[in-house]
Amino acid sequence: MRALVLAMMLLLTGCATQQAKTDLSAFNAAKPRSILVVPAANKSLDVDAPNYLLTTLTVPLAEKGYYVFPVHTAKTVLEQEGFFDGDQVQKQPPEMLARLFGADAVLFVTINRWDAQYAVLSTVVTVDFDYRLVYKDGTEIWKANKKMQYSPQQQNTGNPVANLLAAALTAAFERAKPNYLPLAQMANVQVLTAEPTAIPNGPYRAVN
Amino acid sequence: MRILFYAALSVLVLSGCATNKGMYDWGGYSGILYNSYKDPATVAANTQKLELHIQALEQSKQKVPPGLYADLGTMYLQAGDKEKAKANFMKERNTWPESAGLMDALINNGVTPKAKEAKS
Repeated sequence: MRALVLAMMLLLTGCATQQAKTDLSAFNAAKPRSILVVPAANKSLDVDAPNYLLTTLTVPLAEKGYYVFPVHTAKTVLEQEGFFDGDQVQKQPPEMLARLFGADAVLFVTINRWDAQYAVLSTVVTVDFDYRLVYKDGTEIWKANKKMQYSPQQQNTGNPVANLLAAALTAAFERAKPNYLPLAQMANVQVLTAEPTAIPNGPYRAVN
Repeated sequence: MRILFYAALSVLVLSGCATNKGMYDWGGYSGILYNSYKDPATVAANTQKLELHIQALEQSKQKVPPGLYADLGTMYLQAGDKEKAKANFMKERNTWPESAGLMDALINNGVTPKAKEAKS
């Protein structure tokens, strides 16, 4: 039930933002085959957010038809090079990062928000990301922003006291353990595959 | 003519379905990484889970998705098993030519993490 509500909220959020189609001419000229995902820069207060976000980007990019460099391996290699956090990595020249890994393009993500706002009877969970894909020659080939929110709702029991109690319990649960991951996954899937921001299919998708 | 139309229509419908279908069987790869970051005590169990998933894909002759061999290799490397690490880096390289540069570097000189060298 909660999943259904979440899906509906996400659909509504998705529909609400209608923007101009992203310009893909530079992307189509570059035709990258492989994408390196580096740890995200973090503007949120959650120190774990970059690691968690890192685990959600490979699947949608690979399913679009790109070779995606192993994110855990890349993170480890970068740490060996002395880059321990995403903010540091994102300041490096994309050309240097692409050369280090032999990647056609580098995906930089900035986490603007990864938080839960609490009211007495409800909680709003928000993620907000800036995405930037840069070709190995330094050209920016794609740029997008995605914000997603959900607020867990509960069924009307028909009894006002029971409703109040249920709302308080859900809020307490979300306060203890907000679930960001499905929201982050949905943000990535939508930004990469849905208009107006979708990226073109990569070589492994095109041959099918 | 009518048959042609239906044939064209079914091609459109089928290709529509094909783009929505996943190309790979990920076997919970995202969750494996997530759990390892969230609770480092689960790393060994997660390594085993990824290993078993890859073995199942190999046995059923399915393509192992991008990055799985390599990240399994890195997990073995971090656990100190250089041989298994190297074997998985080789498999990533053979499955995905785009990874060749990185895999060669890992196989040839990255087999001992610098961080560990510094500590010992």
